[in-house]
Amino acid sequence: MKNKVLIGICIAIFLIGVIGSALVLFAPHGTKVNIVQDGAVLYTFDLSVTEDQTLEIEYNGRTNIVQIENGKIRVVEADCPDKTCIRMGWLETGSLPIVCLPNHLSIEFADEREDLDAVIK
Amino acid sequence: MNVKKLAELSILTGIALIIFVVELQIPNPFPIPGIKLGLANIITVYALYHYRAKEVMTMVFIRIFLASVLGGNMMAFIYSFFGSVFCLTGMLLLKRFIDEKHLWIASVFGAVLHNMGQITAAIFIMGTGVIVYLPFLLVSGCIAGAFTGWIAQIAVHRIKGNDAKQK
Ligand SMILES: [Zn+2]
Repeated sequence: MKNKVLIGICIAIFLIGVIGSALVLFAPHGTKVNIVQDGAVLYTFDLSVTEDQTLEIEYNGRTNIVQIENGKIRVVEADCPDKTCIRMGWLETGSLPIVCLPNHLSIEFADEREDLDAVIK
Repeated sequence: MNVKKLAELSILTGIALIIFVVELQIPNPFPIPGIKLGLANIITVYALYHYRAKEVMTMVFIRIFLASVLGGNMMAFIYSFFGSVFCLTGMLLLKRFIDEKHLWIASVFGAVLHNMGQITAAIFIMGTGVIVYLPFLLVSGCIAGAFTGWIAQIAVHRIKGNDAKQK
């Protein structure tokens, strides 16, 4: 009986995860992105009007090289041990940010609500 | 703690570290930080049911420290530390309700809690944006936890079989 309840909770967690993942993957996003380090916004770009460029972002002597090309953004080079940030590729899937945990860096779509707020004001 | 126990715990820590290093060599198909099989969890789940809470905790913290040094990623230590504190606390409580024949259930909760601990650490370090990773980690935690728990169950079964033969 106890086990059934616990297995039920496991299944519920799994389903919440699946639904949540689908919501994140299919979330609509705009063209504004924030580059965030240690929770503070370093840069904001509107990718639809930003020229192609590369940025070097430093953290404690380590760097991430961020590329903006044809209205898309990604990490092309990084000094981090895991390189997950590079493998995540272009920022384009739903509301999923690119993160580099070792270098405290994340590149995320700016919240649409900010735009709405601006319109209301 | 007697010498025999100390030796056993050291061997388990060593095995967990070897498993960790081997897993590092397996390319991860999911480029999402935090998603991994966590095979070293097999040892933790096993130890949880055979040693005292204090012994398991010491073993896990020594392991994650050495694993971060071996992996050359000290940032990983903070995430593993938060993950392990969540995971061990949860599993030690659940141990009372879950018997050894249902190790895999304890393991699923352990893995999910580990991921939640990591996300908590990430929110402190990176800001709240990373919370969108949580649902992916819940899914991967359930699958990875069930898998490692199942292997731990097989291991327990085999070890018991061997012990019976020796006697
Ligand atoms: Zn990185």
